[in-house]
Amino acid sequence: MSGWVLKGLKTGIRTTLYPKVEELAPGVSPGRPAGGRAAGNKKPAAEACPVDAIAVRDKQVSVDYDRCILCGRCLPPAGASGLVKPAADYEWAYKIPRDTVAAGGAGVTKTCSHSLHIKVVDGGACNACLSEVSQLTKPYYDMHRLGFFITPTPRDADLLLVVGPVTEHMKLPLKKAFEAMPEPKAVMAVGTCALSGGIFGPGFAAGGGVKEFLPVDIAVPGCPPPPLAIIHGLLMAVGRKDPVPSPTSPGPGSGMEAAK
Amino acid sequence: MQKTTCKSSSMKELPEDLPPGCHGPVTVTAVAGRFSCCMESSAADIPPICNWLTTRQGYRFASIVIEEMEEEWLAHYIFYSDNGQGPVSISTRVNKADKALPSISHLIHAADWHEREMEDLFGLVFEGHPRLGEFVLHEEWPEGTNPMKKDFDATVPYIDQGPSSSCSWHPPSLVSESGAFMMPIGPIFSGFAESAHFLLETVGEDIIRMIPRFFYKYRGVEKTAEGLPADRALLLAERFSGTSAFAHSLAFCHAVEEIWKTRAPRRAVALRVMLAELERFRHHVAAIEGICSSTGLVVAASQAGILEEDILRLSCKFAGHRYLFGLNIPGGLQRDFSDSECLELAGDVKKIFVKLQDMEKRLRFSSSFLDRLEEVGTVTMEDAVDYGLVGPVARASGVAGDLRTCLPYGDYGSFEFSVPVEKEGDGYARLRILFQEAEQSNNIISQAVSSLPGGGIRQPLSPGARPAGAALGWAETPLGATFHWVRLAEDGRVARYRLTTPSFTNWHGFHLSVEGFAFQDFPIILATFGLSNAECDR
Amino acid sequence: MNIPILLELFLLSCAAGILLAMAVPERYAPAVLAWTASISSAVILIAGGIGLFTNQSFHAELWRISSLGTLDISMDRLSALFVFMAGLIFLPVSVFSARYMQRYSGRYSLRSFSVFYHLLFAAVVLLLIAADALSFLLAWEVMSILCYLLINYEHEKQDNTSSGLLTLVMGEAGFLAVVFGFLLLAGPTGGLDFATLRLNAGAIGGATRWVIFLLTFFGFGIKAGIIPVNTWLPKAYKAAPGNVAAILSGVTLNLAVYGIIRVNADILPALTAGPGIVALITGSLSALIGILYATTEDDMQMMLAHSSIENAGIIIAGLGAGMVFAAMHHPVLAGIAFIASLYHMINHSMFKTLLFLGSSGIELKTGGRDMNRLGGLIRFMPWTAAFFLIGALSIAALPPFNGFVSEWLTLQTMLQSASLQSIPVKITFALSGAALALTAGLAVTCFVKAFGMSFLGMGRSESSRRAVELPWSMRSAMLFLALLCIVSGILPTYIIPVLDRTVTPIVHESAVDALVPPFFTGGRGKEKLNKAFAADFHKLGAQVGSDVLPGRGLVVLHQGGKRNPVVFAMSTSYTFVVLLLLLGATMIMLKIVVRRQKVRYQPAWDGGVRKLLPGMTYSATGFSNPVRVIFNTVFHPTVTIETGESPVGHFRTAITMERTEVHITERLALKPVVAMLKAISARIAAMHSGSVNTYAMYVIISLVMLLIGERFF
Repeated sequence: MSGWVLKGLKTGIRTTLYPKVEELAPGVSPGRPAGGRAAGNKKPAAEACPVDAIAVRDKQVSVDYDRCILCGRCLPPAGASGLVKPAADYEWAYKIPRDTVAAGGAGVTKTCSHSLHIKVVDGGACNACLSEVSQLTKPYYDMHRLGFFITPTPRDADLLLVVGPVTEHMKLPLKKAFEAMPEPKAVMAVGTCALSGGIFGPGFAAGGGVKEFLPVDIAVPGCPPPPLAIIHGLLMAVGRKDPVPSPTSPGPGSGMEAAK
Repeated sequence: MQKTTCKSSSMKELPEDLPPGCHGPVTVTAVAGRFSCCMESSAADIPPICNWLTTRQGYRFASIVIEEMEEEWLAHYIFYSDNGQGPVSISTRVNKADKALPSISHLIHAADWHEREMEDLFGLVFEGHPRLGEFVLHEEWPEGTNPMKKDFDATVPYIDQGPSSSCSWHPPSLVSESGAFMMPIGPIFSGFAESAHFLLETVGEDIIRMIPRFFYKYRGVEKTAEGLPADRALLLAERFSGTSAFAHSLAFCHAVEEIWKTRAPRRAVALRVMLAELERFRHHVAAIEGICSSTGLVVAASQAGILEEDILRLSCKFAGHRYLFGLNIPGGLQRDFSDSECLELAGDVKKIFVKLQDMEKRLRFSSSFLDRLEEVGTVTMEDAVDYGLVGPVARASGVAGDLRTCLPYGDYGSFEFSVPVEKEGDGYARLRILFQEAEQSNNIISQAVSSLPGGGIRQPLSPGARPAGAALGWAETPLGATFHWVRLAEDGRVARYRLTTPSFTNWHGFHLSVEGFAFQDFPIILATFGLSNAECDR
Repeated sequence: MNIPILLELFLLSCAAGILLAMAVPERYAPAVLAWTASISSAVILIAGGIGLFTNQSFHAELWRISSLGTLDISMDRLSALFVFMAGLIFLPVSVFSARYMQRYSGRYSLRSFSVFYHLLFAAVVLLLIAADALSFLLAWEVMSILCYLLINYEHEKQDNTSSGLLTLVMGEAGFLAVVFGFLLLAGPTGGLDFATLRLNAGAIGGATRWVIFLLTFFGFGIKAGIIPVNTWLPKAYKAAPGNVAAILSGVTLNLAVYGIIRVNADILPALTAGPGIVALITGSLSALIGILYATTEDDMQMMLAHSSIENAGIIIAGLGAGMVFAAMHHPVLAGIAFIASLYHMINHSMFKTLLFLGSSGIELKTGGRDMNRLGGLIRFMPWTAAFFLIGALSIAALPPFNGFVSEWLTLQTMLQSASLQSIPVKITFALSGAALALTAGLAVTCFVKAFGMSFLGMGRSESSRRAVELPWSMRSAMLFLALLCIVSGILPTYIIPVLDRTVTPIVHESAVDALVPPFFTGGRGKEKLNKAFAADFHKLGAQVGSDVLPGRGLVVLHQGGKRNPVVFAMSTSYTFVVLLLLLGATMIMLKIVVRRQKVRYQPAWDGGVRKLLPGMTYSATGFSNPVRVIFNTVFHPTVTIETGESPVGHFRTAITMERTEVHITERLALKPVVAMLKAISARIAAMHSGSVNTYAMYVIISLVMLLIGERFF
């Protein structure tokens, strides 16, 4: 036993300093295609996208991150000049404003700023998102240092973290978990599937994401979103990171209008 | 490859050579789709032939594929063996109105869940199977809803299709002891375990019987894939189980490549092996982490967690994705890696492996840890064979089935590696297998990078020459054998996609390991199996 | 009013009950029983009360039989206490029986039940006021037979007949042992009244004393179910109707205690520590074994039966401690121990009767007593649940209920063994104390299970989901007992002096000032406070003896040390007040907090299953299984698990699990004895050769042996 303790001490601290210091280690994030104004013909990239997440109009490229599955088919070989792929970018989470101020999300921001209890529900995820969530409790990310804890029962939870497109079979358990949570409560959808159904839904068995029937406060896109993106979302949920609005407007078209 | 084919193909000698109880006729159809032999027989002959294949010819059950044709049901029973020959398929046709097939699961228990699944999804009846209630579709689906049938509209959410029944699932209790009750676990677990529901029948302390309930994560991948172009369906194959994405996409690509009569370039094949082993390595480290944390050995779990994240970062740095998504494509790989990149990867893997070895050494002397694994969750070799278990779980029980050597694919034949086998079948044996396989993966990666062939990484597909057809693709995923049976139509779209996954196979036998052990062993046994529900539920 | 008149009234009302039961139509018999038996109880309560609380005593000579002496009756304080308790228990049980007995209407004779019931009541009272061995033994025998008749009331059940027979056989064995004990006690002098016996007791030799003790201790002990003579008890309680079980546990169990005290503490007090030690060990082992079986038992009435063994064990252990202290010349400590023991006996009568009535009520409304098939009854039977909860809290020895007081006293008495000299005795006390502590712990588990599995959670059978509340007459009986439990719990300082007066004649010294000193009371109480005792405190600066708190609220066990006093004190009265205040404050605070917030009620979190079914909740067996596993050596079960599989393949059709247990005393004590007896009888049978010559030889050998015996002894 003492051997293990020694071994642990010898290993030292591996934990990231994020959010105090930007994490720059290679491989913490796969990066994602960037939108914006770009030179060259982007049509091939948009056509290569298997989930229609990329729209091009007037040299303006918009990426619907709720749908993007990080397949990489839009990367340079796709066209003569593909989309840029920024590295070491992981602050992907964004906040969905609620209609009413009194609704749960704002309450969580107010009351749980330094201690947040999270209930994780698997709504039919492929396991990659779950694996990334579980990394949060392991030494590299160790979210306990930030006051975030996984709780076994929704009764103690402030935030419902949902992964997966929410299958037909998980709809009822998920609803029950949400209802079992005390107020104030927030919902965080993690991963492309949880935001839009991803490649699975909406269909007969897989749903089109969490927001179909639960009020989502924080969205963390990515397939899967890297652990730091999830931490970013959690920090945003408790108001320790500035709320970012959705990077893409509902339709690719309206996004462009805003840019104009 | 020839023996079975000869026996069955020499049709003149039938029925003498046919298995007892078989009336014939049995015809051999064109050998295609990577099968070594395709037979067709009447439905009544299926059980004796299957029995003959498994008991006399040493074949192991792989899968059942049902196809809905215009006029009839077409069923394929797929078997494989480690005799160096390819898989075997026996097909039968049943009139569409009949909806009945003979059950083989009393002879081959591994087919049990396959038959139950087909019954739920197609509305078929397997005569002789003790129907054990709903399986894939839970109680909210009305009787007679069979989503895999062609006339089922898969695009509309199911909720809109009919009223959901208010009844609740209540499996019959088999334990006749006053005070026996069913302890429910899940479907939402306490940590970040995947959704599944277990009922532990017990009188307290010891689990007498375990009733699992899966398909909470049923996303209808097989149905959704139908009608999609192959490269879009590949995304499903890759991402239905994110922790073994590369192996599954590989199996799918094998099938598609076989149908399209194309071959991945040699460099792509070698890189595929390297990436598949990288994935296995990562998976096994994660599984070891799971076992350590289930026993409450925190420091070891942290150490393994560090290694796991190291590999994830390594994968991301190397391949652009932490879980190796988006690399495989029918005909090769999406992107190339330079030789120096690969060498660096092998070096990094080696470094991580050294740390893993140190961990293994320490674990071997952590008695409190071993106490919780040794002689816990034992699966006997006999049971493992009967249930057709695959992967590390089967190898821990002495069943040496590994598709990399049974049905060699890629260029595994050119690498030197061994398939570790243990006899005990307990939790510790499964842990040892994980460590040994991680070692073999490290070996294979070093060998692969040292002899990377040159050339392209992707065979360009000529747009015109895409024949229709069906083929079986397979791969040894980190959890065991997977079989992807694909039928593509002329337009390159998927007509039928059948996924047989190691988690599906092994969950079927999981109850063997927990029954007779105490509640507190349950999470540990669960961790030593390390199965994936996403992979099982599809 | 004086006692003889009351006793006559009592006998008259019993007789009236019997006659009325014969006269009225069958279906009215229970109601008549309730009235006549209640009147009898009331009368005997007054009689016992007079004997207990006043200085009146009573002695009468019934008649004289020339060869055997007189048949006497008398009521001293000890008798009065037991008579009072009998009345106190018979009263609610009789009221309860009015509606309860309806369930037997048309199936079994309600008349005969009434007759046996009244006869038993009369026999119990006569037994308690018998003042000579002959009438005592007569009453005992009558009581035994009536018990058998009542236990075997549902005589059409095969199981019941065999357990009734076992009861009878064991009862008779005990009776014989007691008869021999009395014969030895009477010795050559021949006087059979207790006063004469007491006078002549001093002349009895050591070995004879031991024999008398063992014969009477285990002979009486059979009725209390102490080990190893307890095998009949659970079976009898299982067979008996619920109200009879209540009487068995609340009244007849006490008779065994009475017998032991009367013979082994009053008439023939032990001179050495030996008998006390035997009683102590037997008692604490009975307690432990009793509670182990109670915890793992799923039939509620059986569970209560095993729990009766446990409580009898605690009582007997207290008696044993008292006997040791008395023999070792610590009269005050002996008094305390006897008080603790009697206090526990009183409490046990109250809460166990309450629990038996509760379980009978449940059985009446759900048709079963198997806790695996109960559950959720609190929604349908809230009153019964509340009363049962009070009983359960009392028996689990939680303050401020009565079980706590007496178990605390008993355990503290064990600790007082520090003042004894002999090391082995000290060790025995320590071990017994440990066993009793473990027992107390397990009792909590046992009754958490009993209450939780029956009243909380979800109904695990159709009948338990259709239960309705009991009628008022039955509830009022339980209410009466529940109030008794609370009163005797929070007012120990008023009950201890009464008990003290009961045991003072036995130990010849009062323990009341040691036990309930006027601790914080000034004025007149101050003089009563033991000087040395108070001085110990004054040295420490404690204002003992001054007006701080009203009344004698504190039960104190004081152990004067050389340098400072070691005090073990307890006050359920103050605890009760504080508890009420705390509860009230919490309620008020909760109201204030909740008023501002919206309260949302949600079902318990079930992991997200569609519907949590009763079969998915813990069963009674499952709840107590850890105990079963930990004490596997005690239970020593044979478990067989058989898995039925389909003829081919691996489809399971059934899993049968069989668990058979033989009670530890049956396994370790009874079976070997029976086997030995059988072997001996087989040998003896071999002597019957059928040859005249052999028999003639036997006669001659016997004759010779007799002559030799005559010559030498």
